[in-house]
Amino acid sequence: MAVPGLAQEKAAVKPGFSMPTGKPVRILVFRPDVKVGSQSAGGVVTPNAEWTANARKNLADALVAAKPGGASEVVFMTDLEGENATLLNEYRSLFKGVATTVLQHRLFKGDRLPTKVTGFEYTLGPGVAKLGELGGGDYGLFVVTNDAYGDSGRKALQIFGLLMAGATGFGGMVSSGVHAGYAGLIDLKTGDLVWLNADLKMGGDVREIDGASKRVSQLLEEFPGGTSGGVHFLPTTK
Amino acid sequence: MNKLLLGLAFAGLAAPPLSAKWKLLPETMPVAVAKSAMKVMPGQGWNSWSFRPGKKSELWSYDGPVLNQIEFIGGVVDGEPFAKERNKKDKPLPKFNSKMLPTDIAQAYEQTQRIVTRSPDFTIDSMEPVTFAAHPGVKFTFHFTRPDEELTRKGEARGAIIGGKLYMITYTAAALHYFDAHLAQAQAIMDSAKVD
Repeated sequence: MAVPGLAQEKAAVKPGFSMPTGKPVRILVFRPDVKVGSQSAGGVVTPNAEWTANARKNLADALVAAKPGGASEVVFMTDLEGENATLLNEYRSLFKGVATTVLQHRLFKGDRLPTKVTGFEYTLGPGVAKLGELGGGDYGLFVVTNDAYGDSGRKALQIFGLLMAGATGFGGMVSSGVHAGYAGLIDLKTGDLVWLNADLKMGGDVREIDGASKRVSQLLEEFPGGTSGGVHFLPTTK
Repeated sequence: MNKLLLGLAFAGLAAPPLSAKWKLLPETMPVAVAKSAMKVMPGQGWNSWSFRPGKKSELWSYDGPVLNQIEFIGGVVDGEPFAKERNKKDKPLPKFNSKMLPTDIAQAYEQTQRIVTRSPDFTIDSMEPVTFAAHPGVKFTFHFTRPDEELTRKGEARGAIIGGKLYMITYTAAALHYFDAHLAQAQAIMDSAKVD
């Protein structure tokens, strides 16, 4: 059930950025950070390894097929070992920190940092070029999804809540689970964040091939230079 | 749940009240911090948060607190903790004692942060005597990760006991890029500290 106030997705492009044209663009995709589990009536989430593995593969396949931004080539980062694997994990965590910061201070209206004119002056730093060298790419795409599907107890609670609301006027809406995600694009030469898209209420059952494809198209909405709307500039705020 | 709560949930941070706001600091005018006798010169680019982590502390950030922050701790007296108690009964925070040696301050800070951040690996990397706010004090550096996060954070702290009260300034940031990016500015703020 969609809730209008919560159903909006938010995306932002770094002001002035557009995907280069006239030369091949290679996007390096980092293994999606995927969590899938079940949610009990009480809201407790239990991770499910099989669902997570299926979702990770489905999302990875769908990302390559999507060719975001009309990229001439979309490649996956090869499996790294040792220090390089540690470095990638550190940068993945830093990306999540940067994405969280943009969500909090740019996409959430009440929590602006006065010193940030556009709310989009963020970078992973030039050191991220090392990942570009290891994987070969002009831009790096990070994807994070978090899904929790309601178990039978939670679904029963949902129905009970709706019945109560219908019969008595009392009873709250119980959400069907958690389906959140975000994706961000990094310039692998400068480390600058050039695009971010986040949504709390994503569609598409990532455990299924078709659902993962739907999820990826939502994650890539308003991707700069993409076919689903092209470069989109949200109004900057102060 | 709104975008803020989503962001904080991803970051593993406690949610401040929605009324909390960030304010611009003057660049060249000394400001009192942590509602204490300590004053510092902010310099360019720092934002002050109306949400205070504790009664005797104040938080500033350059890029957002997930990426970097400066915390001021001002005027802590005998028997008070270094931070706000989270679970006083089961995990009480170490208490300040005005007879503490500089090394004791660093150790108490480490014990406090291990509880407050739930960090399993908070480590002090170096420690040396310095002059802080014109008084003999301590400088120490540290690093840590939060649970369920692989982002290493680094920090530098300076503090002194002045008139029987503890005054400290700590700078903490993501080790990749962000720590080095604003370390010199954070050190300038620490160098500017005065306690009247």
